[in-house]
Amino acid sequence: MVEPATATQAAAPAVAQLKDELDIVIPTIRNLDFLEMWRPFFQPYHLIIVQDGDPSKTIKVPDGFDYELYNRNDINRILGPKASCISFKDSACRCFGYMVSKKKYIFTIDDDCFVAKDPSGKAINALEQHIKNLLSPSTPFFFNTLYDPYREGADFVRGYPFSLREGVPTAVSHGLWLNIPDYDAPTQLVKPLERNTRFVDAVLTIPKGTLFPMCGMNLAFDRELIGPAMYFGLMGDGQPIGRYDDMWAGWCMKVICDHLGLGVKTGLPYIYHSKASNPFVNLRKEYKGIYWQEEIIPFFQQAVLPKECTSVQKCYIELAKQVKEKLSKVDPYFDKLAEAMVTWIEAWDELNPTAAAVPDGKAK
Amino acid sequence: MSIPVKDDEIDIVIGALHADLTSFMNAWRPIFTRFHLIIVKDPDLKEELRIPEGFNLDVYKKPDIDHVVGTSTSIIFSGYSCRYFGYLVSRKKYIVSVDDDCLPAKDNKGFLVDAVAQHITNLTTPATPFFFNTLYDPFTEGADFVRGYPFSLRSGVTCALSCGLWHNLADYDAPTQALKPEERNSRYVDAVLTVPAKTLMPISGINIAFNRDAVGPALLPCLRLAGEGKFRWETMEDIWSGMCVKVICDHLGLGVKTGLPYVWRNDRGDAIASLRKEWEGVKMMEEVVPFFQLVRLPQEATTAEDCVVEVANAVKEKLGPKDPMFARTAKAMLDWVKLWKSVGVSSYSPGA
Repeated sequence: MVEPATATQAAAPAVAQLKDELDIVIPTIRNLDFLEMWRPFFQPYHLIIVQDGDPSKTIKVPDGFDYELYNRNDINRILGPKASCISFKDSACRCFGYMVSKKKYIFTIDDDCFVAKDPSGKAINALEQHIKNLLSPSTPFFFNTLYDPYREGADFVRGYPFSLREGVPTAVSHGLWLNIPDYDAPTQLVKPLERNTRFVDAVLTIPKGTLFPMCGMNLAFDRELIGPAMYFGLMGDGQPIGRYDDMWAGWCMKVICDHLGLGVKTGLPYIYHSKASNPFVNLRKEYKGIYWQEEIIPFFQQAVLPKECTSVQKCYIELAKQVKEKLSKVDPYFDKLAEAMVTWIEAWDELNPTAAAVPDGKAK
Repeated sequence: MSIPVKDDEIDIVIGALHADLTSFMNAWRPIFTRFHLIIVKDPDLKEELRIPEGFNLDVYKKPDIDHVVGTSTSIIFSGYSCRYFGYLVSRKKYIVSVDDDCLPAKDNKGFLVDAVAQHITNLTTPATPFFFNTLYDPFTEGADFVRGYPFSLRSGVTCALSCGLWHNLADYDAPTQALKPEERNSRYVDAVLTVPAKTLMPISGINIAFNRDAVGPALLPCLRLAGEGKFRWETMEDIWSGMCVKVICDHLGLGVKTGLPYVWRNDRGDAIASLRKEWEGVKMMEEVVPFFQLVRLPQEATTAEDCVVEVANAVKEKLGPKDPMFARTAKAMLDWVKLWKSVGVSSYSPGA
């Protein structure tokens, strides 16, 4: 049986790496009690809380945390008409936090995720592991059978070409979950009691040309390398689909990373996922996604970005164009989504001007 | 979900590069006794093999190899390549092969790993090469496909190859071994995963298993380094064979898994002494990888034999001009297919 960790203070590092370069983005609709458990690991960092749902409700943030909080009114005020691209009544709204952050790195976590224990019983500092993943290279062009070669105790195996051993920069670090696994509704209905108790002690690079389902529960990324691609789509209130926000972002992100030669890692760290959402509610949200997926996946597998797309924004705009061309026939939703993707980029660029574009004339 | 397999559908093939197999066989006894074993003695080994009693096995030595293969072929079954003779003469559906300097490993709970059982499980449950499952092998107990995994891809494809890993002495090349002489692999990664389609990897021959019916001829003893030696880091034959197998599996829509089981690999050899020989293999990979990334097989190639011929022709055309070693390799690959068609499919037993 797997349980969350309790003795987290003991596992807190002496020095919090990247504490001025990383923001922790947390979407919430209820409360932030879970932060108490993460305190020894998270307190040195700045938090961006994105409050979904009713903006008149007050979300209490535990004392001692340095944070900024945005509710729907703030999102509307800051983005104006462009706020239409940010989902309402869905944790997809978290991507607003990515957009307003001024830091190089983002770590995002759900409010029902707690500290997990490794097999020796020690509390896992998920943030520290994500940072290790992001700060070491990825190896997408050739698979290393001993997994991440930059980890202590591992290396490249015999036959791994030396010219590929420098690796490429890591854009995304995708963590996993003990206890309640990230299953879709049908699987949850068939296996309501299944718990993930297997601790797989590996980090590995997802090879170039391979897609995967990216879960937003325990995720970190280099905002400067890939930020604009991390749009979590149109979900929730008024939308025909839910629980595909992170999936959509993951497929766009992977196609762009493959095109730009950036790496994506998956595996450690584990967090302890405590809440199983209601599978019947999930089924209603997901069901269109389940069969739309069958069209969406081939679309992403075959997507080719032209050479001229040399920045993430250019890649993303191009993808939006292709979504409109190829997926609108699946459902008019994709038309709206393609437009929202463009709106997102416009909003991103407005909130994140490059040095040349800063209106007051000072370099950023 | 797994296909039921009888013990008599499995052959365990061991290439004997050491004469005294007593402690090796005794260590594996609890796991090996129920199966038929094929032991192929390295033709270069002069001493008599010492094998303990109590196993159901056939032993093949130089005279047997010469008798079957004769002089009509360019294939040299010496050193680590001797095991391929075992693959050739086996008539079973599944083959499991480990180096003779490997022993059973222990898992993360301290239990002895039944490497054969794990390999067979890997080969008899589907592989999922077209989309990556973040919880690794979805057919393992306690795991499944994650949210976002397309339903149409959940039946998977036949797994043709299972690549295991190594505790203690990991399969590093000589430069890495020489740089980190004290490093030993003690990490137990409790996962099996499918290597995605179109992704290449170094397939080590130290601990593998395969579906002989599906891909038998694609495992081939055709690339010999000029300075090939009797330590794994002085060879590239398995790496070459592995690149061919992966490309062929991708073309035929078959899967390749990697991860469990682990074996324990004994310390031996001096990596620094091997460094002089090994550079040849290291340089070779630089040519070879781009070739395999770009090679495309025609739709008409629908069997493993056909695919090997196509790869051989491409090797001759594209790599042959760069180094005579590749031209020899291409010829050896064609010879291997001929040998497979004549010996690999008819019945044969070792000479009296």
